[in-house]
Amino acid sequence: MFKNFFNKKKSFAVNIFPGDQEISISRGETLLAGALRSGLAWPHKCQVGSCGRCRCKILEGKIRPEIDFNYVLDPVDVASGFVLACQSTAKTDIKVSVDLIHKRK
Amino acid sequence: MKKLYVNVRYLIVPVMTVTTIIGLFIGGIYAWIGVFLFGINTILDTLTKDIHLKADFDEDGNSYGIKIFQYSVMYLMLPIFIILQLALANNLYKFIYLEVLEISELVGSILSCGLWAGLGIIYGHELSHNKREGFNVSRAIMALSGASHFTYAHVYNHHLDLGHEDDPATAPRGRNVYAHAWLSHAGQSKFSYDLENAKLKKLNKSFFSLQNKWLLGYLYSLPSIILFVWSGGLVGVIALFIVWVISNFLLEALNFMGHYGLIRETGKPVEHRHSWDNDNLFTSWFFIEIGRQCDHHVRGETYFWELDDVKGPNYGIGYFSLFVLALIPSLFRKFTQKHLDNWDQNYATGAEKEIVNKYYVNELLQKASK
Repeated sequence: MFKNFFNKKKSFAVNIFPGDQEISISRGETLLAGALRSGLAWPHKCQVGSCGRCRCKILEGKIRPEIDFNYVLDPVDVASGFVLACQSTAKTDIKVSVDLIHKRK
Repeated sequence: MKKLYVNVRYLIVPVMTVTTIIGLFIGGIYAWIGVFLFGINTILDTLTKDIHLKADFDEDGNSYGIKIFQYSVMYLMLPIFIILQLALANNLYKFIYLEVLEISELVGSILSCGLWAGLGIIYGHELSHNKREGFNVSRAIMALSGASHFTYAHVYNHHLDLGHEDDPATAPRGRNVYAHAWLSHAGQSKFSYDLENAKLKKLNKSFFSLQNKWLLGYLYSLPSIILFVWSGGLVGVIALFIVWVISNFLLEALNFMGHYGLIRETGKPVEHRHSWDNDNLFTSWFFIEIGRQCDHHVRGETYFWELDDVKGPNYGIGYFSLFVLALIPSLFRKFTQKHLDNWDQNYATGAEKEIVNKYYVNELLQKASK
């Protein structure tokens, strides 16, 4: 019963599409913080969950939302998996779709 | 030893708030101790105006700040502020119903409570940048001052629209602190109202929903209102009103001093130059580094003990000293003018200079030609 409690994963794999890049984020670290630490040009601005610039779509896996995304994102988008990377920590390994800055035209 | 020094130095407000509470319970001249301490702090702040420190990190770049200790203190401030209100309510009861308290003691109690409830709002601010329990503690602390809307408005409005006319907390040049306190308070509440309204409409929920954080925030202030009505009737309501006016005035004075006259072009990122730093020794320690606004607004979720000097615009004096100047608008404008001129010349971008010329220089020329 307590096995999972004491053996919590300390980091999670994040696969980023398009491009299929993989980074690792620590438990409790936000997706954006992990991406920036790994040198990725993840779009962002305020980093406090108010501008929406870091939005991305979770394709697989579970995140823990740190705030209510409905203030910034459309509820329809939230229901279809869009999250704010600066306010999302991983609960499992995840696959995520985001348009990194260097990929933009 | 260094760890102890880095962490203990931020205990000035908790210690002084507890001292104020004890003063209120003892009564007599001690009911004024909160006002006395405010005065002492102004002197200490002025004396240390030339001492500026950097954030402390070890050789590996790790901070000396102990997160669990600092958070325990911040969370502990919620019951301390509740006890502060209870102490004032106790004195009100003694004044109204037991008739064992002099009017001078009651006045001292109200002013002491208002000042320290206001100074304690720094914890409400710090915790507003946290999630879940921290955010909720922030809301509860702010609710004690009738300002629960602040927590949402600060994150979703101030941090996004800083230096822009859409941010009620940024004071344009020429505005005085008295006008700003009201305009900023009302503006942030309006923003929070609109934010909730928009969210509830998107979710197809009624305005009178438990998800309406604006409404709930004001309901969190209800226990304070009930306490003061019970302990002092109409006088109690007046006392609470004065406490709220003082504490909100201090909160908005911090916003006023943090961004007065600074400008940011629409859509451009917030940078260090869009805030004024106030980081002399006493201000830094007393206000748990809230004066390091330049760094805070770029790294909004950085722990206060890790915020550092980023060579942004700096008034060169601390918050207490600047607050005294702000109370006399003509003096404040005179003092800040040279700093604003320096900002225009050395910090502003071309587009920001154009905004200065459009809104301020042209206006001055028009006034001069009349």
